[in-house]
Amino acid sequence: MFSVETRVLILNPDPVFEDRLLSILDLTDWTETRVVRSLSEAVAILIAESFDGFIIEGEPESAVETATVARQHFPSLKLLCVPWERPSADSILNAQRQHIPLANGAASTRRLRAEVRSFLNGLDSHSGASAEGIDPCHSLIGNLNQFSAADVLQMTCMVQRSGRFTFKSGRGNSEIYVHQGEVRHAVYGTLEGEGALAEIFRWRQGRFYFEEGIISQEQSVDRPLAHLLLDNLQKFDETLEVAAVTPMQ
Amino acid sequence: MKDVQTETKLRLISLQLESWKKLHDLVTYGLDKAKPIISAEQERQFREVRANLLQETEHVLRELNLLNDLSGRAMNVLKRGSSLRTVRELSNDDAGHLEVEWNAVFTKLGVAQGQLKSLRKAFSEVTPFDYFKSRLLGRPLPP
Repeated sequence: MFSVETRVLILNPDPVFEDRLLSILDLTDWTETRVVRSLSEAVAILIAESFDGFIIEGEPESAVETATVARQHFPSLKLLCVPWERPSADSILNAQRQHIPLANGAASTRRLRAEVRSFLNGLDSHSGASAEGIDPCHSLIGNLNQFSAADVLQMTCMVQRSGRFTFKSGRGNSEIYVHQGEVRHAVYGTLEGEGALAEIFRWRQGRFYFEEGIISQEQSVDRPLAHLLLDNLQKFDETLEVAAVTPMQ
Repeated sequence: MKDVQTETKLRLISLQLESWKKLHDLVTYGLDKAKPIISAEQERQFREVRANLLQETEHVLRELNLLNDLSGRAMNVLKRGSSLRTVRELSNDDAGHLEVEWNAVFTKLGVAQGQLKSLRKAFSEVTPFDYFKSRLLGRPLPP
């Protein structure tokens, strides 16, 4: 069952008039929802805040396309695409390829409610305050809003250290093991290796610490750090491009 | 328990307030002549927020029983600010009027949102049994 902290972001381009799903969610306990109208708004919020799931509503083709873009930029985020009408066979195929579950937005309210509840039940809620437990004896402690994971990894690898980084944020906890200046293993939830690294590189909130000398027996990353950084920072730049420019900028 | 009508009104009012806030951010930028030129992206954002407000305001205000109080003022704001460039060209007097009208809409919506939240809180303390009992006995709920 989902708990109090389950947070869901909903993208609905017309939330006042096309509000069938929103009215279902209004009466759902234990779920905090936030509604946005465009993908750029959604991306900006997903970078800054932590959500357990992302529901994309809209005209059939556009909803599937938006969900596909979201999947590319946030690979581990749980998505549900709810087109208002049945999408074309091509779009359905595309969604299946990207592992995006489709709910039938044109179905009866009862059926739609069941599909939404099933999606909510499958969410892991790990939002909220990050777990602490940081020992002042750790050799390096910091805040991700000052130094990103990419920054600290670069520093550690430059000085050829070996040990374990632990990152604690509202999105959960993750670990990166470095061995003589190279990343050896990364784990975040069910993700391992480069997938986990890609997620951690996006975090801009939370804390981290480094424990010298803890070595991982497992090896899930075998590319040099420079290559990993280049790929992931480029991907993150592309994500930022999707986010809107705020009026004050 | 949750009351369907209260939840729907709260959702509508939150969406409406969000749009009015965005409009205000853009108008404030537009009115500040010290700020750099208005970009095409900002003009697009303004057009989008204004379009949303134009089509949604009347519906939302009717649902909230605020149509008579606010419809005229809301329309005045939206008519006066037809684009971000026209906002920048407004005289001091017109800019003052725009601010007053926007503030009246925002204040009233904010107060209504507070009242609805209070109603939601009262409902959350009511059990379904209390609710049906009160309906049977014809007593108003929540207290």
